[in-house]
Amino acid sequence: MSTIMDIIAHETNGKSYKTYKYTFEGTDTLSFDYDDHQEITWDRYGETVPPDGSISMKTKADEICRNGRPLFTYFLDGSRHTYKVDDIAYKNKVFPVIAGQVGVSCCKRVDKEMQRFDFDRRLAISLPKIASQDDWNKAVFFANLRNKLNEDIRLQRNGISFTDIIPYSTKVDEFERLESKGIAVIQDLMIDREIDMVTRLVAKHRISASNYLMKDGSLEYRVDHLVNDRERRKFQSNFSFVVGVSKSFNPENCKDKKGKNNSNMIADLPLYHRTPVSMYSSPRLAGMKYAVWYLRIRDKKYTVNTFDGILKIEKILVTDEQINKGLDTEEVDLISANIINERNPVCYGADSRWANHLYPVYVTECYAKSKYLSNTMFLNLF
Amino acid sequence: MGKVIGKVIATEKNPSTIDDFYFWTKQNLILNPFDVVKVSHLQESVSYGIIEEISHITDTANFLADYVSNDFGDVEAEENTHRIGMNYVKAKVIGNTGNVYIPLINNSRVELANESEVAEALGLSNVKNPVTCGYLEMYTGEEDKVTLPVNMDSRFLIGPEGAHLNISGISGLAAKTSYSMFLLRAIQDKCLKSEEEEEDVAFVLFNVKGKDLLALDEPNDFESDEEKKSTFELYEHLGMTPEPFKNVQYYYPYSSNKIGNTYLHKEAFKQQKSQGKAHLYKYSYEDDKDNLDLMFASMDDPQQTMDSIINYIITNQGGFGGLDGWDDFLDEVQKHCKAGAGGDKEITVASWRKFNRIIRKSIYRNDIFGNVHDNNEEVRIGESLKRIKKNEVHVIDIAKLNEDMQGFVFGDAIRTIYDLQLGQFSDEEGIEPPKKIVIFIDELNKYASSDTPKSSPILHQILDIAERGRSLGIVLFSAEQFRSAIHNRVTGNCSTHAYGRTNAIEIAKADYKYVPQVYKNMMTRLKQGEYIIQNPVFRSLLNVKFPKPIYKQYK
Repeated sequence: MSTIMDIIAHETNGKSYKTYKYTFEGTDTLSFDYDDHQEITWDRYGETVPPDGSISMKTKADEICRNGRPLFTYFLDGSRHTYKVDDIAYKNKVFPVIAGQVGVSCCKRVDKEMQRFDFDRRLAISLPKIASQDDWNKAVFFANLRNKLNEDIRLQRNGISFTDIIPYSTKVDEFERLESKGIAVIQDLMIDREIDMVTRLVAKHRISASNYLMKDGSLEYRVDHLVNDRERRKFQSNFSFVVGVSKSFNPENCKDKKGKNNSNMIADLPLYHRTPVSMYSSPRLAGMKYAVWYLRIRDKKYTVNTFDGILKIEKILVTDEQINKGLDTEEVDLISANIINERNPVCYGADSRWANHLYPVYVTECYAKSKYLSNTMFLNLF
Repeated sequence: MGKVIGKVIATEKNPSTIDDFYFWTKQNLILNPFDVVKVSHLQESVSYGIIEEISHITDTANFLADYVSNDFGDVEAEENTHRIGMNYVKAKVIGNTGNVYIPLINNSRVELANESEVAEALGLSNVKNPVTCGYLEMYTGEEDKVTLPVNMDSRFLIGPEGAHLNISGISGLAAKTSYSMFLLRAIQDKCLKSEEEEEDVAFVLFNVKGKDLLALDEPNDFESDEEKKSTFELYEHLGMTPEPFKNVQYYYPYSSNKIGNTYLHKEAFKQQKSQGKAHLYKYSYEDDKDNLDLMFASMDDPQQTMDSIINYIITNQGGFGGLDGWDDFLDEVQKHCKAGAGGDKEITVASWRKFNRIIRKSIYRNDIFGNVHDNNEEVRIGESLKRIKKNEVHVIDIAKLNEDMQGFVFGDAIRTIYDLQLGQFSDEEGIEPPKKIVIFIDELNKYASSDTPKSSPILHQILDIAERGRSLGIVLFSAEQFRSAIHNRVTGNCSTHAYGRTNAIEIAKADYKYVPQVYKNMMTRLKQGEYIIQNPVFRSLLNVKFPKPIYKQYK
C-alpha cells in the first residue's frame, strides 16, 4: 500500500527518503517564540488621555463585576502542530517535507458557560516550491496534487482529507533553515484562517460594542494581500471589537514616551495596574497603527518569572480619529477592567503559563487541540 | 429512539470492557444509581447498562488550582466563566439483545430506555409465575419517569427452583416487617386468585414485638382518604387486591386471666375470640416433654450432659414416665438433685442440679406449661400446626415471652412444620398439609446468628429448613438487623435477599464485598419503603419500593 509520501514522490518526480518522522512540538524547544513580533516601531502615546505612569483598574473592574456583564463574549484561538514527515530530493537537492495540523477555534460564552461557536481544521503539507511540475501555475498544480492525495483509499477509509498543499520558498538564506520556512507557511495558513474566522464573525454581526472578541496572541498580522485602501479599511473595521491578548512578549519592545526601553516599569507594574497605551506601527501591518498596553493580573509574589502575570494587550486602530488621537482612554479602561475580571478561574496545574493564561482562552485552545488527530496516527499517514 | 443523554467514553485508563463502560453526560442531568440506559451496539443490537457510579469532574487540575482561582483564597472572588465540567457515569453491562458482549464503542450514543426496554433489560418482562415484589421508579421528570411493577418468578422465591428470603435493615428505618408482609400478601393474593393446584401455600408467622402482626386481617386506617386512594391505586397498578390477609388465626401464650400473655388490647383480643380467630396456647407435659431440648438452645453444652438428661427423660427412665403434669415433673427432677439419688450413674448430681435450675426458671409457675383443657380455647401449637391448610395464615404471638421461651415456642413450631412436611403425621386423620409452608420470623439473629452455640437444636432446625426446606416445601422468610450476624449457611441458602437501610459499619463487612461501593453507600441512605433486592432471575440488584401496608397498623 502506498503512503502519502509515495504518492507525492511519484507525482512530483522526487525521491522520498523515508526518513525519521517526528513532531516539532516538544523536540524543538531551543528557539523561543514570543507571541508578538520584533520589527515594530514605537510612535507615541496611543490613548486620548494618557495617565502619568500606571493606574489601577481594580475599582472599575469590581464595579463591572457587580453591575455589568462581561465585555468579552467570543474567544478565538489558532493553534498549529507541525511535523517533519520526510525528506525529498529534487535535482540532487534534499528538502524537508513539513506537515501540519491547524485548528482555529472560536468559543462563545453564554451565562458564564463556554460553548462551541465555530471550528476550522486544516491538514496541510508544505513542499518546496521546486516540487511543482508547472512553473507558472503552481497553485493549480498543488491543488491537483492535493486532490490526488485525497483519493487515497486509506485516507478515505479514515475520513481524513488534506486541505492545503503549500509551497515554501527554497531560496538560500544563511540564517533560516529550510525546516523553518516550511513551518512558516503553515503558521501563515493558521493566521489566514484566524483572520477568516474574524471576518466571518463580523459578517454574521456577532461581535459588537457589547460583545467583544478576545483573540489569543498578537494582532500583528502579516497582511500583504491588502492591495488597496478600501480593503485595508475593511480589514481594520473587522477588528473594531477585537482585542489581542499575548501571554508572552518581548520586553525589548516596551518603550516609554521617549521611545526608550522601560521594561523595568512593566516588571514593577502593581497588581491590577495598566501602563499608558503606546501606539505602534509594524511593517507587517502596512499603513496601519495599533495600540499596545500592559496589564498585571496576578500578584508578583505568586509568580516565578519577572513578566509572569502581565498581559500585553493590543488593539488595531480603526478610525482616523483613533489613528490621530489614539484609543479612547475610556475604552482602554473598559477593556483592561474586563480583562482583570477574566483572571478567574485559572488553569493552574494544567498549564505552566497559568499566570498569563485567561481561562476562556485556555478552554478555546483546549477545544482546538482536542480536535487534533493523534501524533502517531498523523505521522503514520506518511 | 430514546432521549440521548450522552456518549460512551473509552480511554486508556478507563476502557470499555465486557462488563462495564463509561459515558459522559451534562452536569445538570439527573440520573440515579440503578437507572437503566441503552446503547446501540454492533450488528444492530442494543446493550443495556445499569448505572453504578456517577462522578462530576471539572478541568481543575488540583485543589490548589481552585484556591488560586479565587484570588488565592478570597471567598468573595467572582469568576466570569464557569469551569468546564461534566459528569461521567460508570455503568455495568446487564445484557445485549443480540448477545454481543464485545466492549461498547467510544462515542456511541447513550439513551434513556422506555418501560418495556427497562423491563427487558432487567429481566422483568415475561416472568413466569409472577409474584409482585414491589415497583421501581427510574429517571426524574414527568416526561422521562418510568414506574414499573417488579414481578419475581414465584418458583425462585418459594420454591422449588429457589427458596427462602432474607431481609436485613435497621429497625424502624428499614420497614422489614412491612416488606415481608407485603410479599406474603402478594403470595396469598396470587394463591387465592389461582385455581391451580400448584399454588398451595400456607403461612406461619411469629409476632416478636408489640402488636405488629396481630391485626393482619383488618384493614388499615389510613391517615387520610387521599393516602388511602393512592395506596389502593398502587396496589391495583401492581396487580394486587387492596385487601388485608385472609384466613388468619392468632395464637397467644396462655395466661390465667384468659386474655393471653400479649400486648394486644383486651377488647381487640375479645373481638378476635368472638370471631373464633384467637387461641391460647399451652404446652402439656405428655406431648411436649420431647421438646425440652429447645430450652437449652442458647447454652453451650460441650459435655452433652444436658443432652443426656433430656434423653433420660424422653425415654421415660427413672420415673419420668406417666407423670401427670409439669409439677410432678419438677418434683421428679428435684429428686434426682439430691445426693445419692438413684438413676443413671453416668449423670452427676451436679448436672441434674444445673438442669433443675434452668428448667425451673422457665417452667415453675408458668401458666403456659399446663394441661390443655377441652374448652375450645386452649390449644397446643404442635397440634394446631399439624392441621394447617392451604391459604391459612397462623400468627403465633411470642412478643411478651422471655427470650428462652420465645426460642422454645419458635423451635417447637418449626419442628412441627418440619415433621409435618416430612410426612410424620400422615397416618393421622384430618391432616392435609399444603404443598408449601412459608415461615416468617423476625430477629433471626436470636436463633441462627453466627455465634449461636453449634449444639443449639433451634439452629439445627433452621439449618435443616434452609438446606432441605426447598424440596420439602418449607420456606423461611427471615428478617434481622444485620445480615452479617447470621449464620452463613442460612444466608447462603436464601435465593432472595432484600437489603433495607443499614449502617456504615455493616456494609464494611465481608457479606457486602460483592456489592458495588455506590450501592453499598446507597444502603445507608435508603428511605423507608425502599429496598435493594437480589434474586437469581434479576440481572442485577434492583432498587424497589413498595406501597404502604394494607392491614391495620397499631401505632
